[in-house]
Amino acid sequence: MRRALRHPSFLIGASLSAVIVFIALVSLVWTPHDPGQMRILSRLKPPDASFWLGTDQFGRDIASMLMVGARNALLVGLVAVGIGFTFGSVLGMLAARFEGSLLDDVVMRALDFVFAFPAVLTAILILTLFGPGLVNAVLAIGLFNIPVFARQARGATLQVMTRDFIRAARLAGCGTASILVRHVVPNILGLMIVQASTQFALAILAEAGLSYLGIGTQPPNPSWGRMLNDAQTFLARAPLLAIFPGMAIALSVLAFNLLGDGLRDIIDPRLKER
Amino acid sequence: MTLAVAALVVFWILEVLPGDPAATMLGISATPETIAALRTELGLDQPPVARFLGWITGMFSGQLGISYAYRVPVGGLIAERVAVTLPLAVLALMLASSIGIALGTLAASKANSVIDSVVMGVAQLGLAIPNFWFGLLFVLLFSVTLGWFPSGGFPGWSGGILPAFQALVLPALALALPQSAVLARLTRSSLLETMGEDYIRTARAKGLTRGQTLRRHALRNALVPVLTMMGLQFSFLVAGTIIMENVFALPGLGRLLVQAIGGHDLILIKNLVLLFVGAAVIVNAIVDIAYGYADPRLRVSRP
Repeated sequence: MRRALRHPSFLIGASLSAVIVFIALVSLVWTPHDPGQMRILSRLKPPDASFWLGTDQFGRDIASMLMVGARNALLVGLVAVGIGFTFGSVLGMLAARFEGSLLDDVVMRALDFVFAFPAVLTAILILTLFGPGLVNAVLAIGLFNIPVFARQARGATLQVMTRDFIRAARLAGCGTASILVRHVVPNILGLMIVQASTQFALAILAEAGLSYLGIGTQPPNPSWGRMLNDAQTFLARAPLLAIFPGMAIALSVLAFNLLGDGLRDIIDPRLKER
Repeated sequence: MTLAVAALVVFWILEVLPGDPAATMLGISATPETIAALRTELGLDQPPVARFLGWITGMFSGQLGISYAYRVPVGGLIAERVAVTLPLAVLALMLASSIGIALGTLAASKANSVIDSVVMGVAQLGLAIPNFWFGLLFVLLFSVTLGWFPSGGFPGWSGGILPAFQALVLPALALALPQSAVLARLTRSSLLETMGEDYIRTARAKGLTRGQTLRRHALRNALVPVLTMMGLQFSFLVAGTIIMENVFALPGLGRLLVQAIGGHDLILIKNLVLLFVGAAVIVNAIVDIAYGYADPRLRVSRP
């Protein structure tokens, strides 16, 4: 813990993430204005005392939209990484436990295949098929998270399985399930959480990209990516519209990347980049 | 092999799963008669296996089908767009690798100095910024404010190389920057790891300076993981072109794909997706070959 408090990237990452989570939580109960309310008379206004970050082409308050957008981004990250983490870890651990079996082969082949598909392409395919929207976008991002976690889990499990305490547990009569849950999971969890943090950042980026293309989050729900798309039309008249949402995306991604880097160094100092 | 499975999956997803492709393509205002007519035109009255084989054999003879929305052969449509996307992707890859490897080498050669921290800090920032935001910022700075580059569109290669190149520089740079951040970090850590090897100590003992050993002995060995990453990154790059072509209104494959999705042009979509997957597979094969050049020890041992 003391090491955590002295680690600069962990500190910055953790506090930035905390701020973003806080803003998202606040947006549930309070925003400066109603993010959906349009005001014809105050379109494309520069920042002032009432509209902290100005208004968009419909006169909606940018600050409020960004706050709600934070909630959106975090939700996407949470669910998408949750899907990848759960399915990926289970598949990876099972593949490792039955290493070399048909199950291992099939799982790893299938994951290689998902991996070969460029992720955004997979997402676009899924969104074409099931229609654009936030839920489908999250599912798509979650899907291409599965192989990432499965590979990590398989590799880590294989390492843990060679350790003496696993043999001891097996001699003591533990079954496969109990070995995996009670002995493997606690040993690989740290590594998986580090991965989750990085994937969380990537999920936010992916959702922003899909929403920018217009096939992610649908209006009227605010999304940072969508706001950038809208801003592009008014780039010459209201350049600030393109600045703020991009900064929001960049800061969140930076926060979770730093958090992941910091956690990795703290959990496993041997992996530290010199 | 991967490509064959990919073709099967794409076909299955787009044509077998979601009910009637003809109805999807025509939208909700279609009458049963027009749907029936399109079904015949598309050959949907044949069984799926026959249609799949038709598509695959067509691919080898260059007959990819007729785009529903554009009413022109898909093959020609794609060929036209490749002339934009391929130079864009290649330019971006070249920029990403040269910037990334140069910065990574610089950081490693001055490890733990101020320069190192600055470079790595910038790289961390580069990782976080979405490439389409880079694109927007570039348009804002270089096109809207300074007027140095066009803000979008593509004049075509027929109007001379320079204007076409000018149209591609900003999107390629926007695509390349986040990737070069990844490569810079990787190059640095890989180089530092290599610098700890015995043969580096030997080279230093021979009297070479740190910079000389870095360039002559370490860099080449350190590039193997960097090459792997470049192969993996290509799929990010491909995905990036899809977004970037929409930022800069470039008439490339990515823009075509998004338009095809908007117009429910299933014939176009399936061919484009397969093309993208195919490109990723080919690039990974090239990377495998490149290992051999970077590190001759890997030539035989790779299965």
